[in-house]
Amino acid sequence: MADPPRRLFEPGTRIEDLKAYMGPFVARLGYKFNSDTEFVDAVLESELELLESEGDVWCPCRIRPDDRREHAKYVCPCIPFYLDAFGAVRKCWCGLFVRGDVERGEELHGAVEIPPGPKTVRVAAASDLADGQGKTVKVGKREIALFRVGDEFYALSNLCLHMYGPLGEGYLDGHHVMCPWHGWRYDVRDGNTDHPGADVRTYPVEVRDGEVFVTV
Amino acid sequence: MVKLYALSTCPYCRMTRKFLDDEGVEYEEVEVDKLEGAEREDAVEEVRRVSGGTSFPVVVAGEEVIVGFDKARIKKTLGI
Repeated sequence: MADPPRRLFEPGTRIEDLKAYMGPFVARLGYKFNSDTEFVDAVLESELELLESEGDVWCPCRIRPDDRREHAKYVCPCIPFYLDAFGAVRKCWCGLFVRGDVERGEELHGAVEIPPGPKTVRVAAASDLADGQGKTVKVGKREIALFRVGDEFYALSNLCLHMYGPLGEGYLDGHHVMCPWHGWRYDVRDGNTDHPGADVRTYPVEVRDGEVFVTV
Repeated sequence: MVKLYALSTCPYCRMTRKFLDDEGVEYEEVEVDKLEGAEREDAVEEVRRVSGGTSFPVVVAGEEVIVGFDKARIKKTLGI
């Protein structure tokens, strides 16, 4: 049986109308409304506000980027676009919907993703960086600043703890990188800085066969 | 300083704000959807950079970036 076509909700739409429309839609995907009815009503109330201001019902916990094709993925229910991600945590992002086998939906409040274990990822070729150079690499959702000093490579969090400037674009002076925004200095070997409580995390780096690997 | 990026429409953001208030945590809040123009673009870009996405709430405490209302992780990170 085909999913019902999306329709524009009219002015005067109530929470009950949203429930009547969304319930059968998500049931076909193996989901149902969260058993925490107070929370469900709070989410749908927010969606009605968005319907009033934006003309459609959007996920109230995400902001739409400036990309019209991406916008569609934030419409509620957004489950079809994120089946794998939501399947892993057994709920949609907001928690409005949970998998059909979940009995106590309130226990999933706050669940965002399954914490991944350590993984080692190739991030660059050793020849990509000359002595004294750095670059920013991404491993999953993490931004990592990668530096080369002589034949050694170092990896640390890309976020300067002053104003979250990009350390990977900083200036390297020996084993110290200077944040390009305001000049905070960090030792690339251990992430230490002179500013109290502002050291950054470092990550193990390994070079094998001319390839640089970082473990996160 | 703890920083909270939130949306005015987001129930989890409200829960996070209430939790931080109840625990007496000092924090700076940015309600991203209430910003306009370049200020909003900059805030969205910053959220994307620190958290890897545009989902809210985002709590930044030191080097820890917590996406979503993860009470246990917030408590552990802030030592409360």
